[in-house]
Amino acid sequence: MLGAILVKITFAAAIAATILYILQHRKASEDILRLARLFYFGSVAGILSVAGLLLYYILTHQFHYYYVWSYSSTDLPLSLLISTLYAGQEGSFLLWALFTGIIGVFLLRYSSKKGYEPELMSVYTAIFTFLILMLVVKNPFKFIWEQFPDELLKVGVAPTDGTNFMWIDQARGLWSQIPVEGKGLNALLQNYWMVIHPPILFIGFTSMSIPFAYAVAGLLKRDYVSWIRVATPWTAFGSLALGTGIILGGYWAYETLGWGGYWGWDPVENSSLVPWLVCVASIHTMLAQRKNGSYIKTNFILSMFCFILVLYSTFLTRSGVLGETSVHSFVDPGMWVYWLLLIVIGTFVFVGFGLLVKRWKEIPVAPVEHTFISREFALFLGASALVFVSIFILIGTSSPIITNIFKGKTSAVDPSFYVTTTLPLGVAIALLSGLGQILWWKNSKSDVLLKQLMLPAILALMFTVVTVFFGATHVSMIIFIFSSAFALFTNILVGYRIIQGNPKMAGGAITHVGIALMFLGFVSSAKYDDVKTVNLEQGKEVEALGYKLKYVGYEPIARGRFAFNVEVQKDGEKFVVSPVMFKESENGSLIRNPDIVNLLTKDFYVSPLSLEAGDQEQAANEITINEIEPLEIAGMSIRYLGYEFTQSKEKGNYLVAKLEVTKNGKKEIVMPTMRNMTGDISFDPARHSSGISFTIKAMNPTKDKAQSSITLAVEGIHAHGEIKERKSDTLVVEASVKPFINLVWIGTFSLIIGFAITIYRRWQEAMRNEAWK
Amino acid sequence: MNAKIISGVVIIVAALVFGAMTFIDSNIEYTDFTKAQAVAKKVQVKGKWLAEKETNFNASTSQFTFYMVDDNNKECKVVLDGGKPNNFEIATEIVAKGRFKDGYFHANEVLTKCPSKYEGDGTAVKKSL
Repeated sequence: MLGAILVKITFAAAIAATILYILQHRKASEDILRLARLFYFGSVAGILSVAGLLLYYILTHQFHYYYVWSYSSTDLPLSLLISTLYAGQEGSFLLWALFTGIIGVFLLRYSSKKGYEPELMSVYTAIFTFLILMLVVKNPFKFIWEQFPDELLKVGVAPTDGTNFMWIDQARGLWSQIPVEGKGLNALLQNYWMVIHPPILFIGFTSMSIPFAYAVAGLLKRDYVSWIRVATPWTAFGSLALGTGIILGGYWAYETLGWGGYWGWDPVENSSLVPWLVCVASIHTMLAQRKNGSYIKTNFILSMFCFILVLYSTFLTRSGVLGETSVHSFVDPGMWVYWLLLIVIGTFVFVGFGLLVKRWKEIPVAPVEHTFISREFALFLGASALVFVSIFILIGTSSPIITNIFKGKTSAVDPSFYVTTTLPLGVAIALLSGLGQILWWKNSKSDVLLKQLMLPAILALMFTVVTVFFGATHVSMIIFIFSSAFALFTNILVGYRIIQGNPKMAGGAITHVGIALMFLGFVSSAKYDDVKTVNLEQGKEVEALGYKLKYVGYEPIARGRFAFNVEVQKDGEKFVVSPVMFKESENGSLIRNPDIVNLLTKDFYVSPLSLEAGDQEQAANEITINEIEPLEIAGMSIRYLGYEFTQSKEKGNYLVAKLEVTKNGKKEIVMPTMRNMTGDISFDPARHSSGISFTIKAMNPTKDKAQSSITLAVEGIHAHGEIKERKSDTLVVEASVKPFINLVWIGTFSLIIGFAITIYRRWQEAMRNEAWK
Repeated sequence: MNAKIISGVVIIVAALVFGAMTFIDSNIEYTDFTKAQAVAKKVQVKGKWLAEKETNFNASTSQFTFYMVDDNNKECKVVLDGGKPNNFEIATEIVAKGRFKDGYFHANEVLTKCPSKYEGDGTAVKKSL
């Protein structure tokens, strides 16, 4: 009750803050502003207490709340228990709303200094309100008996046998049984990434709403130019947070989920990548606008799309439209999410772009004053390439919707679609991120440019020749390698010069070095990897991909999981990798986690597939035959000749079945027996000379030969009919070598550092200029 | 119309045509086993796993074999390159991507759709009482 009321109060406070801020924009007044802030802070306090309350229920295992029961259990360690706060649909909206509320406090202070508070906060609180609305509609504090009234609700005397229960209406004798244990967290999510990744991703999602809010605020204030200066630090922060979240997700997939790679072009991954790309594109066009005042309208459009695309991404992954086309398996959460999200997207598109269209003619147009060989043009082309990448990924990801509209059937695109479409654009992006650094603003002199191009181009060419020498193939890949190397060397050279002058300006170069390194890492680790499935019989050494592998056995580790230890040897060095497999207790699904040997130049990646128990293949075959038709199995012909029934006082009653087994032309009589000793039935198997044994499972003894049948368990035959010797356990793994994957991670670090420097620089700049109006 | 705008339009149109062609080319159609058999193209088939039928992993070929029925209740043997997919047993629905070959469906990817915990499940709550 308390939780649901808190959510509604928070919702009401957020609506009030939105309305008050809109009023403040219409007609400024100190009182209204104070009241608007009061309501906003109230709503933030509200969302904090909602999250705190739910967390408290989770930590104290109050399983009478449906959400707590659905996602948590008593056996989870504290960190994972906390992470169940956002493990479900409702909880993840709560986390998103929580971050939006908290970040808004900083945004409020910042924007009030810049004279942007009423406009910015009216848009931002509207977004906040929508997130809380999700919680109003899908209440995380639903009681478990509301979900399962038939199973749990009882009327009458309260149980006295120790059953866990709770009174709902004692006067009417209505009570509900309460679970003593929760369903728990999906085993795939049970690792520390679950603690780190979603919060960072949601900070990124939250930050994407800030460029949108600033763009709309700029339109509201009729400030078409300087809003970007106020917005830039936040846009850069958003790129950093969302980018980090995306990469961490990739690393999670690579390191724990065992998908074999860090990127699978899955809808969930794609749909968070698209807003990031657009946001990054907007950083570039904003830079161009700062310098020469062009791309004003472009910046409005891109900034708005950052948030609209986050909403669309949410719609794609939460509404169930993708259905079964994603590895992140979703089940339709119901029509309400679908329609609510569509209405919300529609509303924000209408507000943002409607206002833009209304003000379109007012927006100043700066004449384009640069030539084709200028930094502005490179920035514009680079941003266009990023936008095209986004469009292609968006089209591919929306494929189920597109095909549903045009063909009436949903279907997804093959991941190769993304590679084919983005590769040429990747080449363009790499070349431009190098070129852009040496081009001058407005116009470059071609002779100077050529001189500056020389060194990085030669270095890149040499680098490419070396990679070809070491096995790079495919023309498209070689072009991509060359352009990435060009970007790398240019940015290193330029970055080095900048750092010697003013390190604060080096953010761009360092970020681009990161991108170039990542591009090279993508090619080497994903295109030139070696994969092999290896069967490792326990104790026997097997050679694969130049490594010697030996499975030495398994051991239990924490929480019912098993580590399968494999010794890996290469060039005298020895490692032990311990991939993990375990049965998820509740439903018996097998969960597999890979293990990695991280070497300087490559990763050796071992992903477990299965453990074949030594005697498992000797599985029993059950056969049923009657006295007329013989049966062929595993190269034998079996004929049921009948049975003998004997009664004896000492030995009890017994039935002896007579089988004629013909193998390789040799006939043999085999007689399995069934005994009944004073009601105690036992079966004596009979063995054929080849070692195959027959045991009676059931008999239908009658006089009618066609009806008289016998069911036998036949043991000791292999699938091919050979007799199998007993083998040791065999661990089946997929081993792969991923060359230079460290480039991806080093590149990521470089990217993050570059962004951090840029944010710092733009932040200082924004702080210095207190009064732009 | 100046040269810039014309070249811009040409580039945009070329990119979109290229994207559309690749899209049509790499679209994996949803279909059933009957139609999958008729076309040689890579398709995806939605259905359910037949738990009572042979389901095993062959270590020597590293292929996972199982039987499934599509939405029209047509049964088919599926051979997947690789191990048993995650959440296979609890999946309410599975999607096999691949093509028909020698009387069976040769899949290179199998997606599982879980009874995600968004759904109310009366049996689960009874178990936890």
